[in-house]
Amino acid sequence: MSVTIDIDNVVKKYGDLTVVNGLSLKVDPGEFFTLLGPSGCGKTTLLRMIIGFNSIEAGEIRVDGRVVNDVPTDKRNMGMVFQNYAIFPHMTVYENVAFGLKMRKLSNAEIAPRVAEILELVKIDALRDRKPTELSGGQQQRVALARAIVIQPEVLLMDEPLSNLDAKLRVEMRNVIKNIQHKLGITTVYVTHDQEEALAVSDRLAVMNAGVIQQIDTPQRVYQRPANLFVSTFIGLSNVLNGKITGDGKGVDFGGYMVEMDNLNELAKPNAPVLVSVRPEEFVIDRAAGEGLKAVVKNRVFLGSTIHYFLEMGDKELEVIDRADNLEMIPAGAQVTLTAKANKINVFDESGGRSLIAAERTQ
Amino acid sequence: MHEPGKKKVDGWFALGLLLTALFLVFVLYPLLLILYKSVLDPASGGTTTANFVKFFSRKYYWITLWNSVKVTTCSTFIAVLLGLPMAYVLRNVKIRGLSVINILIVISYLSPPFIGAYAWVQMLGRNGLITNIFNKLFGIQFAGIYGFAGIVLVFSLQSFPLVYMYVSGALKNLDNSLNEAARSLGCSTFQSVWRVVTPLILPTLLASALLVFMRVFSDFGTPMLIGEGYRTFPVLIYTQFMGEVSTDSHFAAALCVIVIGITLALFFLQGLLARRWSYSMSALRPMEAKKYSGLSNFLAHLFVLSVVALAIIPQCTVIFSSFLETKGGHVYTGNFSLENYANTLLAKDNNAIVNTYLFGVAAIALVVVMGVLISYLSTRKKSPLTATLDTMTMMPYIIPGSVLGISFLYAFNAPPLILANTPLIMIIALSLRRMPYTIRSSTAIISQISPSIEEAAISFGASERTTFLKITLPMMLPGVLAGAIMSWITIISELSSSIILYTSRTRTLTVAIYAEVIRSNFGNAAAYSTVLTVTSVLSLLLFYKLSGKREISI
Repeated sequence: MSVTIDIDNVVKKYGDLTVVNGLSLKVDPGEFFTLLGPSGCGKTTLLRMIIGFNSIEAGEIRVDGRVVNDVPTDKRNMGMVFQNYAIFPHMTVYENVAFGLKMRKLSNAEIAPRVAEILELVKIDALRDRKPTELSGGQQQRVALARAIVIQPEVLLMDEPLSNLDAKLRVEMRNVIKNIQHKLGITTVYVTHDQEEALAVSDRLAVMNAGVIQQIDTPQRVYQRPANLFVSTFIGLSNVLNGKITGDGKGVDFGGYMVEMDNLNELAKPNAPVLVSVRPEEFVIDRAAGEGLKAVVKNRVFLGSTIHYFLEMGDKELEVIDRADNLEMIPAGAQVTLTAKANKINVFDESGGRSLIAAERTQ
Repeated sequence: MHEPGKKKVDGWFALGLLLTALFLVFVLYPLLLILYKSVLDPASGGTTTANFVKFFSRKYYWITLWNSVKVTTCSTFIAVLLGLPMAYVLRNVKIRGLSVINILIVISYLSPPFIGAYAWVQMLGRNGLITNIFNKLFGIQFAGIYGFAGIVLVFSLQSFPLVYMYVSGALKNLDNSLNEAARSLGCSTFQSVWRVVTPLILPTLLASALLVFMRVFSDFGTPMLIGEGYRTFPVLIYTQFMGEVSTDSHFAAALCVIVIGITLALFFLQGLLARRWSYSMSALRPMEAKKYSGLSNFLAHLFVLSVVALAIIPQCTVIFSSFLETKGGHVYTGNFSLENYANTLLAKDNNAIVNTYLFGVAAIALVVVMGVLISYLSTRKKSPLTATLDTMTMMPYIIPGSVLGISFLYAFNAPPLILANTPLIMIIALSLRRMPYTIRSSTAIISQISPSIEEAAISFGASERTTFLKITLPMMLPGVLAGAIMSWITIISELSSSIILYTSRTRTLTVAIYAEVIRSNFGNAAAYSTVLTVTSVLSLLLFYKLSGKREISI
């Protein structure tokens, strides 16, 4: 019974300002799909177009094949969880959750068991007669979730639902959301600006910037094989270095230090200047002199399982994460040699707009 | 260092005592005196319930109370029916000329209701402009809008702005995601307004309805002018107290006690209801006025503009007729002239305008100084004393102006304090009537200033007094001054206590207007009213300029 959502070339304008210009994507049935991007990138705008709070100036949104552009929100059968929860302050927990069922003209006899079931699912059955003011942020979040899913929506939409919670609760609640979504199998679109949250909950995610989708892929692929420099720096940390393709076109040259690669695509022309992005944990740091990038340790931070080194290479600052199982920490001021793991680095064209890594064979 | 156990009398405590004493003398004492008078048997010197029995046993008397309840309930209801949708529509739909509309609404509210009454008589009265046109056009004999319908018309149009302003403020704090949540759960727009928006603004709606109710219930100018035979309770009080035929001060006192009892009961009822349904709300994403098109856009504009037009028509009529030439003051000749202004502004020993400005400024000064001090005391120096003070300052909120005036005349017409017939009694009455509003707004301003700012100043070595004068007061000032301008506008429009307390030397503009209307000198009345309106408009523009806001709180 899960549905697909097809977003086909949609356009959103506020007056003369075009916020979203011809955006397309497809959400698979039962998928947990995340729109991730910095604030102002249009992700919330898109979400509000799906549910019908924002008009669609051009293009189509289809749910289960039906065009919903002109269907009013209350007829779309979509559940939504809001950033500030939007719990009705004048109703108890039970009344809040029952509200959508009442609107569907269900009898009290039908409503009661369904509300009870959902309250149990989100583990707030003990709070059913409380007023929202008596609830903590996490509890309000659970009410909001219960209220959105009790109506058995075709689509579940969530707009930064965890941004008002503290860090620990955020981790707890994202697992709750993920588990419940998985159990119910509702096609879900989730909006967040928190990349860690997006990686943790999503089946797939779309990274957006300035109203344009940069990449749609699984969390793992987005992290390991970013489609462009924006994605590479927005998600996780990346050291970006200038370099060029080697003369034989089968590796990158950092100005003396060469790394051989077997996965460059046809856009990688010999001797073309490129940007190389290396994650901090994909550098190997060594005090011994040898082939590699030469840098000086400026500072280091011990974080238990890892050690973070802040290095200086010429006028460039680099960050390297080393596993703390190395017995010895490298002191500040020490000369070190960095080598990059060839199959983990990413190479972009000079503008940073396109990846020069070949698509991997599908596994 | 002062020794433990030995209580140091500090300046704030002394100030608290002084202010409490003042309110004991000027609020509590006159009220107790009225209560005492109402049960005093002048013949025996004992107590009696005769005055109350007299009121409730004769239809001639109690019918006025019933009439008042009827017109007040009807007007309040209609005011809500106009104000609520106005607020919702203006918060939701982009309406052209919103800022002008807002100013017009505020002005229609700030002008004294009886001016509306007399303006409507000019149009829909027996010999009114519209009445005559209608009667000629359709050959009917419409006798004019008097009595119940006239009173309700005037009060409704005069009061809806208050509901509008309150509800509009509440809607601003309502998070639109509540609306959206309701929509996503299957509500139509109408259902979400009915099931989500309305319950949430209900406390505000009740508070504004109570204010409207009390204003209408205690207003006597309007029923006097347009009521004709339809006598309301304030009219009865006024005639019993001021009447030429038979004045019975004990009976009048009993009437005052009854009216206070009713407003007090309403006040507590509203408080009770408001506490039950009060929600602290802050809007993350407030409602946004959207551009509509087609029929809904047309209907929204039509509704808003017709209501505003109806509300502002009296003011326009008055200003227009102030430039009309009259014969003997009340028959229009059909020509334009400035004669009315010459007759009023340039008339010899006419002190009404000067008095209005003078009393107004003095009363404002008094209200602002006392309001700031009292609100500071009751928020920062909480004690039983300041709590008592705070309660007493709220009393004028529920005492109708005419009752306050009467109580003042009873209390200060004899030694040791003879204030009757002096400007001072007018100034005190005017400032007391405005005090509750000023204190409430000042308290709101102080509560937004974190005490840690004052503590910081003290930690740097400033004394408490210096801290108040150099830190707290300057921070409060912008808000307090903006509030003072609004108080000024309401004070210069005050009639109900002034009409009781004035003498020929202490006439104010509103008293003059009322007197001219009663004497059918409509030309002069219109000129005076125009002066009042122009003053209000200029003050309002000053308020906008100083506060930089478009929101008004009354």
